[in-house]
Amino acid sequence: MSLTAHSEPLASIVEEVRDTGARLPRTKPKPAGDAGGHILELLGISKSFLTTRALKRVDLQVLAGEVHVICGENGAGKSTLMNILNGIHRPDEGEILIKGQRVEVGSPLVASRHGIGMVHQHFTLVPSMSVAENLFLGRNPTRYGLFSDRDAMRRRSRQLIERYNFELDPDTPVNRLSVGQKQRVEILKALAFDAEILILDEPTAVLTPPEVDELLGVIDILRKRGRTIIFITHKLREVKAIADRVTIFRHGESVSTYRITEVSEADIAHDMVGRQVFLVGRQDDPESPRQFGEDLLRISGVTVTNSAGRRLLDQVSFNVRSGEVFGMAGVDGNGQTQLAEVVAGLMPVQAGRIHFMDSDVTAAPISERMKLGLGFIPEDRLDRGLSATMSIEENVAATNYVAAGMLKSGFIDVGVRNAFASDRIKEFDVRGATLGQPVGWLSGGNMQKIVIARELARKPRILVVSQPTRGLDIGAAEFIQEQILEAADNGAAVLLISSELTEVLSLADRIGVMYNGRLPQVLRRDEADEKTVGFLMNGGDASTP
Amino acid sequence: MEMASFIAAVLIQSTPILLAGLAAMITLRANILNVAVEGMMLVGAFVAIAVGDLTGNALIAVVSAVFAAFLVSQALAFFTLKLHADFIVAGLGINLLAAGGTLFLLERVYYNPGGLRPITFPEIWHVPDGSLSFIPILGPAFEGQSAIVLIALLAIPACHVFLYRTPTGSYLRAAGEDEHAARSAGIRVNRMKTLAVAISGVLSGLAGAQLAMDRLHFFLPEMTAGRGFIGLAATLFGNGLPSATAVASFLFGLFGAIGDRLQAFNIPAQFVLMLPYVAAVVGLGIGMWRIKMRNRPAKIEGEDKRPGA
Amino acid sequence: MLKSLRSFGLAILPQAAAIAVTMFLGFVLVAAIADEPLLAYRELLFANFDSRSNFALFINRATPIALIAVGIVFAFRAGVFNVGGEGQLYLGAMAATVVALFLSDLPGAMLLPLCLLGGILAGGIWGWIPAVLKVRLAVDEVVSTLMLNFVALLFTSYLVNHPLRDPEAYGALSRKVPESVWLPSIPGLPNASMGFVAAVILAIISWIVLFRTSWGAEVRAAGTNIRFAEAIGTPGGRRVIEAMFVAGAFAGLAGALYVLGIGHRFEQNFSPAYGLVALTVALLARVHPIGALLTSLYYALMLNGAAYMQIATDVPRSLVVLLTGLLVLFMTVRLRPPRVVG
Repeated sequence: MSLTAHSEPLASIVEEVRDTGARLPRTKPKPAGDAGGHILELLGISKSFLTTRALKRVDLQVLAGEVHVICGENGAGKSTLMNILNGIHRPDEGEILIKGQRVEVGSPLVASRHGIGMVHQHFTLVPSMSVAENLFLGRNPTRYGLFSDRDAMRRRSRQLIERYNFELDPDTPVNRLSVGQKQRVEILKALAFDAEILILDEPTAVLTPPEVDELLGVIDILRKRGRTIIFITHKLREVKAIADRVTIFRHGESVSTYRITEVSEADIAHDMVGRQVFLVGRQDDPESPRQFGEDLLRISGVTVTNSAGRRLLDQVSFNVRSGEVFGMAGVDGNGQTQLAEVVAGLMPVQAGRIHFMDSDVTAAPISERMKLGLGFIPEDRLDRGLSATMSIEENVAATNYVAAGMLKSGFIDVGVRNAFASDRIKEFDVRGATLGQPVGWLSGGNMQKIVIARELARKPRILVVSQPTRGLDIGAAEFIQEQILEAADNGAAVLLISSELTEVLSLADRIGVMYNGRLPQVLRRDEADEKTVGFLMNGGDASTP
Repeated sequence: MEMASFIAAVLIQSTPILLAGLAAMITLRANILNVAVEGMMLVGAFVAIAVGDLTGNALIAVVSAVFAAFLVSQALAFFTLKLHADFIVAGLGINLLAAGGTLFLLERVYYNPGGLRPITFPEIWHVPDGSLSFIPILGPAFEGQSAIVLIALLAIPACHVFLYRTPTGSYLRAAGEDEHAARSAGIRVNRMKTLAVAISGVLSGLAGAQLAMDRLHFFLPEMTAGRGFIGLAATLFGNGLPSATAVASFLFGLFGAIGDRLQAFNIPAQFVLMLPYVAAVVGLGIGMWRIKMRNRPAKIEGEDKRPGA
Repeated sequence: MLKSLRSFGLAILPQAAAIAVTMFLGFVLVAAIADEPLLAYRELLFANFDSRSNFALFINRATPIALIAVGIVFAFRAGVFNVGGEGQLYLGAMAATVVALFLSDLPGAMLLPLCLLGGILAGGIWGWIPAVLKVRLAVDEVVSTLMLNFVALLFTSYLVNHPLRDPEAYGALSRKVPESVWLPSIPGLPNASMGFVAAVILAIISWIVLFRTSWGAEVRAAGTNIRFAEAIGTPGGRRVIEAMFVAGAFAGLAGALYVLGIGHRFEQNFSPAYGLVALTVALLARVHPIGALLTSLYYALMLNGAAYMQIATDVPRSLVVLLTGLLVLFMTVRLRPPRVVG
């Protein structure tokens, strides 16, 4: 599939699309190569939420026809800024200029009228509706002024799809599409209505490496056709690969803007963090290799199917030893979620065995597995990890009532419980935590610390950790990674499931890669590099590259 | 002839449930569990009789009933969408308000807490006798049915066309299914929800008018007797689809009609009246059980077997 | 101390405001239709304290509301929207009546506990059914409890009209239960049933169970996030079902205590929608057992006051239903959108 073969001006497609139905004013896209003046300027934008100042007098200048990357850690204010541009939030102060004109962006509709299209990190597609219906959502062409013109929607969707070689069927319901396909629908949705400025919010977070490359190809085409692209990411590789210029955000401020040719990855990293980065990692001493104990966790031939008979886990087998971190890499959705649930005892298996030490726990509920020493840190803290509306101390105590002696003849000893919670909060440096408050009031990183504090308090022998640092800033992530390594050093068998490749590579002693529910190969730490693992993540076979 | 009169009885039993079911369905598609259908129906029934009594005009009575229920629906929309009240709680509040308000008016205006029974009451238009006798069975069954029965039957395809063939319907479904997606497409989610509640108000008002005006020509306190809730059950049973909701409504109506027949065999009225409610609970249970069975992980064959099984 | 008082004040502010707005609107309505609006409101609010017998009736009125509401607190804490209090109440009352009538030869000391047990079990089962349907099959509990209310009301109506009907009484009444199982009255308050004392004690026990035992913590975990409850190794679904059984049992007990302490027989339509009123009470009390007890007193005051008001003035008692509707409508109103968690 070649993405560069089509060079018809986009405007002609857009004209066709817009002729019936769309009520948007016409704005001519600039011809390719004419990267003239500033198409978009943000001057002194500030925005505060309840307690936090998300943006502090931020400036951003985007040239027409360039790919402008906005780079920064989680929580640096990138998403807030984009939501302001897209009319979801209003700035407290500052102004927005589009082509030199001061504008008020009050709603997404107004944003699209000004030619701003947004591709969200979380897709904004209605799952049960078809591709065509989604492309025309909110702006259906009509027949007799009353009914949706479904033929026109289908026809124009097909034209749009064909011009980009996106290989989508306009009639497929979106819930049957792959993640990459859904993203293309999102991009088409923005393009269908003549977006001159296309904002992509961390678009690669959900993609496999080849899908990322395809996306970068798509962006290159868009640039050639004169679109202006604002690309948000925190992955340095992508910055170098695609950007014309880059603006770096830190703690709600715009720190610096560079031409990409004038800056190194290290400079960008330095500006993002504001200090030297120390990556947490297994200290490997080549003189005396790390010694591991006996197998504490044994998974053999575990298979899980869905109702259609597809194998979500297919004959997965591996062992984890005492003191070892087993890293499970893979693109999201290849069975990692099921693996974590199966080991924790929250999902039944259709075949295979799970042993904790010498006990067969295949049919045992999670409570029994916890008695045998399981600690479980689920992938989504607000889903399985915490009860957001319950108090901090109850969340910390939840799995420790018996172990920490909080029960006195069946009744909760509130004094013991609160002391226990206070100790854990202090130990894990949970900021802003007051006993009695709902845990949901904490920030993401501090909520995650609560989950980890709770699960490590029992000194687990088998620790299942899923996506432990997802959505956290570097400071909190480092702390949590240190805690996981410490648990392993204390003799636990750690199963670390993460779709952050760097996290797996820096923390794990052995590395498995899940692909399509299977675990074809387990690599030793010294065999695994980014290239090999990336290859396996896409279903390759490392032995025959 | 026997068959025709039974079908006619099923139609009469089904119509208020069908209208209530469609009312609840439209709101369900906007992601609202609308328990206020019951109260809006009651208001419709009361206004239909009161206005019919006052004006002597059946059409004005129906229109007033629909308009009154519409006003109630907008009160509900105001409290929930503008004042952020919980939808179920506010819906129950509307039901209480409808029950209390009608009773209050009966006591205060008509000085008869037992009900409102006008001595003369205008007839709503019915399909004339003999006009359809050329169609076997169905013809006679439709003879004597009120205009609202016909409207209710037409409302089924109308709801389908609205939801799936008009832009507004598709935006309404989008607002219900994924608020975030709808909002980012420029759809005003609250406006869509208000619209859904308004439509459910109109349909509920019709249901109430049919209940009070078709045969009875009087209003009793709490005369809706849970039909709004049965409509809600029909919607859940029909998974929010217009046609399936209609089928479920007819099923409940069928139970009602069978119940009436059973009464002739000395079966106590209470058990007969119970049938639609039992059918709703059992039906919902079976429906959800089938979904659960369908979503079960598939068994695998071969070398390894399921442990513990 | 001052701080906790302040946070308590802030917590009940919306509810207090809802009550105030409702009472004000009610007064406007009364002023519009009554000749003596002040007298009407005086009767509504204070006639309950005019005499010992009025006060006893007030206590008796509060008892079933308080018991059902405390039960509904369990349901809410388990994440179940239990609209089925009415049906559970009726079945409890009927079960106690049936036990008392059919085993009337037993001595009171044996029969009384059996009657209470019958009420508790009947109500409990009627709470258990929708809970099982919800937990195992994801059947929406609002709809199922509403439906089951009608089934229970119609079933008890059949029993009281046919097999159990007292031929000498006028109306749908069962025969009287033997005097040996009549509850004593509260000392110093003739006619005020001991049921109220039971309600007070049970409300306190409920608070302890919900907030000071691991079972209570597990119920609340399941109610706020059942996937979390499972992940911390507790049987979330089972806790939900147990809590709903408790909720139904409370309502069933309320019915039994009504028959044994107040009515002394099963009366068709003995409840002026206690189930729905109790739901309101539980919500007004911010789903807290002690709060539910106190709020039920306010409601009993209104319900009985309305009757005195109707006698003394020309304001119909259905005003109270109207006001309840308004109150329920106002109750969950938030002028600012709720705080987003996470």
